[in-house]
Amino acid sequence: MATKVFDRDTLLDLTVNFIPLFILLFFLVGYFVYNPFKLGSTERILQYMLLATPFVLLAILTYLSGKAIASTEKSSPVYMPGAATVDGAEPIEDEHEE
Amino acid sequence: MQITGQLTLTVLMGLFLVIIAAWLARIEDWRSYTPLGSGGAAGESGYVSQEKPTGISRWLTTVDHKDIGMLYGAYGVLAFVVGGLMIMVMRVELLDPGMTLISNSFYNSLLTSHGITMLFLFGTPIIAAFANYLVPLLIGADDMAFPRINAIAFWLLPPGALLIWAGFFPLGDIIPAQTAWTLYTPLSTGAGGGNQANAGVDLMILGLHLTGVSATMGSINFIATIITERAEEVTWANLDIFSWTILTQSGLILFAFPLLGSALLMLLLDRNLGTSFFAIEAGGTMLWQHLFWFFGHPEVYILVLPPMGIVSYVLPRFAGRRLFGFKFVVYSTLAIGVLSFGVWAHHMFATGMDPRLRASFMAVSMAIAIPSAVKTFNWITTLWNGKVRLTTPMLFCVGFVSNFILGGVTGVFLASIPVDLVLHDTYYVVGHFHYVVMGAIAFAGFAGLYYWFPMFTGRMYQRRLGKIHFWTWMIGSNITFLAMIVLGYGGMPRRYATYLPKFATFHQLATLGALLMFVGGLVWTYNFVVSWLEGPKVQDGDPWNLRDDGMYTNEWQWFEDRQETAITDGGDEDVVTDGGTEE
Repeated sequence: MATKVFDRDTLLDLTVNFIPLFILLFFLVGYFVYNPFKLGSTERILQYMLLATPFVLLAILTYLSGKAIASTEKSSPVYMPGAATVDGAEPIEDEHEE
Repeated sequence: MQITGQLTLTVLMGLFLVIIAAWLARIEDWRSYTPLGSGGAAGESGYVSQEKPTGISRWLTTVDHKDIGMLYGAYGVLAFVVGGLMIMVMRVELLDPGMTLISNSFYNSLLTSHGITMLFLFGTPIIAAFANYLVPLLIGADDMAFPRINAIAFWLLPPGALLIWAGFFPLGDIIPAQTAWTLYTPLSTGAGGGNQANAGVDLMILGLHLTGVSATMGSINFIATIITERAEEVTWANLDIFSWTILTQSGLILFAFPLLGSALLMLLLDRNLGTSFFAIEAGGTMLWQHLFWFFGHPEVYILVLPPMGIVSYVLPRFAGRRLFGFKFVVYSTLAIGVLSFGVWAHHMFATGMDPRLRASFMAVSMAIAIPSAVKTFNWITTLWNGKVRLTTPMLFCVGFVSNFILGGVTGVFLASIPVDLVLHDTYYVVGHFHYVVMGAIAFAGFAGLYYWFPMFTGRMYQRRLGKIHFWTWMIGSNITFLAMIVLGYGGMPRRYATYLPKFATFHQLATLGALLMFVGGLVWTYNFVVSWLEGPKVQDGDPWNLRDDGMYTNEWQWFEDRQETAITDGGDEDVVTDGGTEE
């Protein structure tokens, strides 16, 4: 499952966004299985669009940001956030939450 | 009378344009006046090679990001005072169920202006103040990517404020707008027999439009700066959390504010040129609400994300350890950015819109609660077993977390359609969003003001007064906003200038809390003015002793370098830091 950039730690960091994605998916499936309103109308299509659009956009942004952060972590030294230009700054061990 | 008023306005506007033209003509060489528009070339500093002018010309002509940050700060604080005084008049009026102090139409005017002033003239600018001053320092940039656009963005704001408040000035027949900050049609189109066809509403809309243009220009600048101007060592992996929130907020502004601008122009056309975008037989009242809230809900996050960034940045400094789950906070900030565009109609659950659409908006509103809650857990976990120092900025950060939990949890209930249908348009909603905008956003703003006060002024504030300010505000805000929540449960409708006598006790409690905050505000003003003029000078670049915990950051390093290169004045007074006690 874990690819070169998206290793186990990165995927763990991204779980924070998987939860809202899961909630959106839950309602997408839920409204499909149980829907008290009549089928096939414009509103029904809009109803799914309103859930699917944030889902797709959030998935794309999560992928892109995860890739940007994880790949720079691997290619350059990581300092404490906000402290990279402090005199004598040392790279930190990326310990992923003690 | 009316013609004289119009003539006066025309002459004043003409004079204003002549002054601007004359001033522009006096500038001989634009290039000598400003840094490179492109943000600096290799081997050449982006800074102005000459010394800055002094006095008032410095502030009127500056393109330095720190000066512009200070201008934004002064502007935001001034607007906060104006908006605060407006609400004090309203709260004193609400001590009594009937109309006693002011007329109900003046109450409506204050209500409208209080909302717009606090959101557009205080909230957005005070965030821009921190961002302008700090982002270039935090990312190791010489200045903003477009320094002159930065200055223009600021200078659009003062005329915006004057237009928004125009109705309160003695300008002939012009009266203040009474539309509430949401400008719902058909009231705001001037339809019907009311007085909202008055030019005061047009001026307010134009002012609002100017502040929107200003915010959009600023956001483009921040996006360009953070993406292109970072120092080599500042990568996406170690970009600080405040810059992340500013980047996300700027993205939101870029997509939300132009839509507000378009909707406002449509409204102006409907009011003045006979178009019918929002006429009942055309777009109707729902069109305005959809357009407005497609901007309006992201606006909530535009206001709250950077303050969350300030708290995520400042709180760990006084907990003696790094922010727990830094990347959780980054990703959840981005998630809020995306999802905030998918929840706008939860402000419209009671309008009778299609229940299928309503169901989807409820689902996304539930989903967006997760990233906000994640941050709260991260802040609490950062404090857990930390070396907590209860300095004034830290107190404001902790106050932020506490108030944000109350504001956030009351909001989750409102996201549920059945609950919302009961509580819609009651004081519950007012209590909920004031917990967020005042209890959280303003608290974070003041945490930032206290934390960076030594950097902004070179002096230290009085710690005892800072703590008095915090406690009056913490107790006052909770008395006021909790009373509002209770009033809402009781069925007290929002926006009313009068009320049934049974609501009197909790309205009086709310006013008591507001008075407490007023006192706290006076203490803060005194503290900042006196400390700015006479406070003990900061002698080193680490007034918070951040090095002891390995929490020293870029902007203080810049401050230290500046302190070392500045000419010493031989002061022998030791700095009194707001050290707090370790626990």
